[in-house]
Amino acid sequence: MTNKNENHPIGNKVVSQIDSKKLTKNIVIVGGGTAGWITAGTLAAKLTSQHVKNFSVTLVESSNIPPIGVGEGTWPTMRRTLKNMGIKETDFIRECNVSFKQGAKFAKWVTGKHDDYYYHPLMLPEGPIKDNLASHWLSIQFPYNENPKKQYSFSMCLSPQEAICEAGLAPKLITTAEYDAIANYAYHLDAGLFSEFLKQHCIKVLNVKHVVDDVMAVTNNDDGDIACVSTAEHGDLSGDLFIDCSGFKSLLLGEHYQVGFKSCKDVLFVDNAIAVQVPYSDENSPIASHTISTAQTAGWIWDIGLSSRRGVGHVYSSRYISEHAAIEELKQYLSATVNDVEQLTFRKIPINPGYREKFWHRNCVAIGLSAGFLEPLEASALLLVEISANMIAEQLPANRQCMEIVSERFNQTFTYRWERIIDFLKLHYMLSQRQDSDFWCDNRKPESIPSSLKSLLSLWQYQPPSDNDFIHATEVFPAASYQYVLYGMGFKTASSHWGYSTEASEKAYEKFKQVNLQTSQYKANLMSNRDLINSIKQYGLQRV
Amino acid sequence: MKNVIVDSNTHKNTKVLVGHGQDFGENIHFVPVIADELRSLILEYPCCLLKNNQTGQFGLHALLGFESGENLFLADANWRSHYIPLHIRRQPFMVARKDHSSEPMSETNTVLTIDMNNRRVVDGNTSADSQDLFTSDGKPTEYLTSMNRMVFELAQGIVRTESFIQSLVDNELVEAIQLGISMNKRHSADKEQENINFDGLYVINEKALANLSADLLQEYHRKGYLQACHLMMASMGQIQSLIRLRNQSS
Repeated sequence: MTNKNENHPIGNKVVSQIDSKKLTKNIVIVGGGTAGWITAGTLAAKLTSQHVKNFSVTLVESSNIPPIGVGEGTWPTMRRTLKNMGIKETDFIRECNVSFKQGAKFAKWVTGKHDDYYYHPLMLPEGPIKDNLASHWLSIQFPYNENPKKQYSFSMCLSPQEAICEAGLAPKLITTAEYDAIANYAYHLDAGLFSEFLKQHCIKVLNVKHVVDDVMAVTNNDDGDIACVSTAEHGDLSGDLFIDCSGFKSLLLGEHYQVGFKSCKDVLFVDNAIAVQVPYSDENSPIASHTISTAQTAGWIWDIGLSSRRGVGHVYSSRYISEHAAIEELKQYLSATVNDVEQLTFRKIPINPGYREKFWHRNCVAIGLSAGFLEPLEASALLLVEISANMIAEQLPANRQCMEIVSERFNQTFTYRWERIIDFLKLHYMLSQRQDSDFWCDNRKPESIPSSLKSLLSLWQYQPPSDNDFIHATEVFPAASYQYVLYGMGFKTASSHWGYSTEASEKAYEKFKQVNLQTSQYKANLMSNRDLINSIKQYGLQRV
Repeated sequence: MKNVIVDSNTHKNTKVLVGHGQDFGENIHFVPVIADELRSLILEYPCCLLKNNQTGQFGLHALLGFESGENLFLADANWRSHYIPLHIRRQPFMVARKDHSSEPMSETNTVLTIDMNNRRVVDGNTSADSQDLFTSDGKPTEYLTSMNRMVFELAQGIVRTESFIQSLVDNELVEAIQLGISMNKRHSADKEQENINFDGLYVINEKALANLSADLLQEYHRKGYLQACHLMMASMGQIQSLIRLRNQSS
């Protein structure tokens, strides 16, 4: 085993040693959780649909390592990811206890008071004036809601989705084709079942080779690339590209190549989660069609409705609250909906927020927890898996020389993406006005806020977030997401000193009226989230 | 709806009104049809698949109008078409199965039922044009016998049509279309035109049909599916007739 022999490659020497003409033929994925199978499926679907020969995708997973099994929230990208793999949405919904997610409701994040909440819906404002709507929302008031308390909520003015979620309605109809939406949506899913479901699809439909075995050793070539991984019973699995989906263990990138880990616990404080599965009171209990995130004294509680049960968990910072007190807060939260909280099984999951200094090193790239993990807020984990797998599939380097270029690009792109996600998550904490613990006060301290976020915030004091504020073509979070959080949390952007023309104000007013009309139409026509899930289980969704 | 088994005792005085029109709920803008009718339907009606609002499942339909309540083929108490769909003509009768087996329908495992809440059904004398179900000595009338035959054929046709549609779905031969139609604005004196978009219509994907494998093509030919597909495709030209009817009526 020639492990860890290459901590500090000497640039030129290494490059001259690699066989730059060596073709990328065999891809070996180590680890079979959701990350491994999403990666396998994405790569195999792309290769089999567009190419004919000289490639193979092999996934090796141990039967001894249980998957972490959280990560039950997704982004709308998952619809495309599944569709591209040739999966029928109906099968996925039936087999992974899926329900629809239309966004997140953040309760008690701003003041901590009983009626404090805002929405981050998944529907994005569209049209040429989409960025400016925020300015108009800030400068004009629109009286068309009977409830004066929520009258002017930003998300209510920009999207019908807050109202749909509050009413427990589904984002589409039984007549809407699979993967199509009336209101943009993602999923809540059972990660364990999802992994198994993808595995069957990858093996049976996409010809992914599946090896169930323990990886005992990682062996390098003379040039320092990984030549093969050695298994206990299936011999050596050699490959041209190795994808590390081994979870927190980070077997290839972390353990073998010793690529450093960049902690961000000075920015994002949570370092533990207590997860619990909560049964519904009966099989037809309503299913929330959004993630509910409720702030606590030193963290927050996620509440995710699957079709079969709820997944609930408290993420907290052990620097500010004891495990015992964190569990008590979770039990307190659950007692509103569960008769006997003592019957439930609580599972502790440590979190070390941060990411690798690079993700693609030589012929090895890490996807999933092996690349890093921040925290469950805004469900970025599976999203990162999807966009990583997608970028590798789309830019799959033909040979070793190309791999140098693509990997460099990949590292730049994903370092940027991790930084933007950290900024975005931090925004949720630092805009809070809660005073009830040092956790919240410390989150507002300037030294805990990344400079990139600070400069955006100074900009946003004078102009609302715009897609121009973000330099990459495919941003993880669009400007609209920043707007929903900023204005949901009461951030103030100054009115333009240039004023607003009558024409511009009228256009904005038209848009708000249109959303209001759409809201009442959707509320009249959409069925409940539970009813739609039941109908899909019974009849299925059509493909057209 | 209140479907009961037709019985010479219960229904000895029952009469069925045989007229047409809005009074009998015929002012509908689409009607379910069976594939066996396509040959007759296509001469007058556009026929395509529509989704059931409760189940999302496809059903074969003839289009009669462009909006709820509009049956352009209906002129007061008459249809101005040569062919009237079976679903209209069968009223108020239907067939029910005696058992819950999966056996194909036959004369022995089915019974004729009548919807007693249907506006066509009257008990006792009426001045309107009507038909008796039974003769004075309790024998089925010629009318009832012919209705029985029609409804039984319809019921069998429904099962065949469902299999046909399922096969279209399984082989991905269905595609959604959006119709953009320009027609005269209603209640507009100077024949002002308006553009209306209709979605929720599903037709045969001609490209996919052309690319069917040889085996499937043979199967489709043998089962009559291929012909049904072509009849459906041809029928959509009747949208123009429907627009013409609409423009005449507005």
